[in-house]
Amino acid sequence: MKYLSEYRDPAVARALIQRIKTSATRPWTLMEVCGGQTHTIVRQGLDELLGDAVEMIHGPGCPVCVTPLEQIDKALALAARPDVIFTSFGDMLRVPGSECDLQQIRSRGGTVRVVYSPLDALELATRNPDKQVVFFAVGFETTAPANAMAVWRAKELGVGNFSVLVSHVTVPPAMTAILDAPDNRVQGFLAAGHVCTVMGWKEYEPIAARYKVPIIVTGFEPVDILEGMLLCVLQLEQGRHEVENQYVRSVRREGTRPARELVERVFTLVDRKWRGIGEIPRSGLALRAEFADFDAELRFGLGDMHVSEPAECMAGDVLRGKIKPHQCPAFGTLCTPERPLGAPMVSSEGACAAYYNYGRLRTGAGAARA
Amino acid sequence: MCLGIPGRVVERRNDRGLPMGMVDFGGVKRECCLAYVADEVLPGDYVVVHVGFAIAKVAEEEARRTFEVLREMSQLEELDWMREVADQGLSGLEGGAARPAEAATSEPAP
Repeated sequence: MKYLSEYRDPAVARALIQRIKTSATRPWTLMEVCGGQTHTIVRQGLDELLGDAVEMIHGPGCPVCVTPLEQIDKALALAARPDVIFTSFGDMLRVPGSECDLQQIRSRGGTVRVVYSPLDALELATRNPDKQVVFFAVGFETTAPANAMAVWRAKELGVGNFSVLVSHVTVPPAMTAILDAPDNRVQGFLAAGHVCTVMGWKEYEPIAARYKVPIIVTGFEPVDILEGMLLCVLQLEQGRHEVENQYVRSVRREGTRPARELVERVFTLVDRKWRGIGEIPRSGLALRAEFADFDAELRFGLGDMHVSEPAECMAGDVLRGKIKPHQCPAFGTLCTPERPLGAPMVSSEGACAAYYNYGRLRTGAGAARA
Repeated sequence: MCLGIPGRVVERRNDRGLPMGMVDFGGVKRECCLAYVADEVLPGDYVVVHVGFAIAKVAEEEARRTFEVLREMSQLEELDWMREVADQGLSGLEGGAARPAEAATSEPAP
């Protein structure tokens, strides 16, 4: 039980693991959607403690991992411009583009600034009126309200030298795409807690009903995740398929209404490509026409870009749950967190980096359960 | 990236119509946008903050416990970004002055 040493309450965790094992009359395959949950599961070795009762497939809920290469290349092109201060959350700086990453652009003289909040980027714009400040607006529904507010405020305050490179994605269409795939193995989901803190869970009810899969809104701590797994296994064993809320201390069915409303006023649903996965219909957010003045792609005339992923990288198969990270031939050899080939090796929430950082090195075919 | 950090609202203010407030994250203080929880949060309340925006109000006990768990799991990268921004400041390209440090208080960390 060495993995349990960091629990706040190891006894609760042990009891949950025991209940999952005794409740499962057959092996079940679940997917945790959120990269933060993947990090917890791999770091704590939760999946390895469950024996054959539950196999966890790591979902695509890591914005760093699924931001399409074209958008990374556009970010690099903008950051290289002498008139631009390019701003981004810290974890996008080492995501490989076709040629290099934002950190390398910075070392070659481009101005790339890490911001904590999109309002920091807006503040930089007001303080640097002779520069164009571009913010890389990535993320899921949790982050969309913050980025929507930055654009709303820029328009309200008339900050003309601020714009955003948008690459927002939303969770439910990705879950549907996974369930629609002919080789899908996912039988139940742990939905992402903070996405649902903002959005609520109404959108998930038709998915659970249509595909007959339990969906458990789940938090991020080890005990949360084990409880989410247990609720999911119990539903599967009982033949139920409902949306259930494990993360009651943060999530309400209707979400955080003012946040949801501003997202709807600033953004509109569009088809969006996911890195490694491909285009998913109506899975992305783009600026509405009345905010087009703040769209960096329009302001700087960025058209379609020709891009190519490294052939050795199997990130797409990892993100779709077809292989575990250590089953990729490049894992830990050609591809490491220091020299990542693909985005899931960059982010601490990427499945590849989590496997690498927590010692799941390639030990031959026997190491893989998939 | 979707993780939120719990913190305690120390004070509220209004920035040209936008509800803002100083939030204390275990001793690291940072101004955050309170627009999405403006109707339910007062100084002393605890909120979950994601990239500078409060997205939900939480109970104090829950906030303290979550903060500790996040610290143990090394999942406080948002705090690192916060510090990097504070170190660099936002004024311009030559580094610029960091935001004025908030006076330390004796109030407990979340």
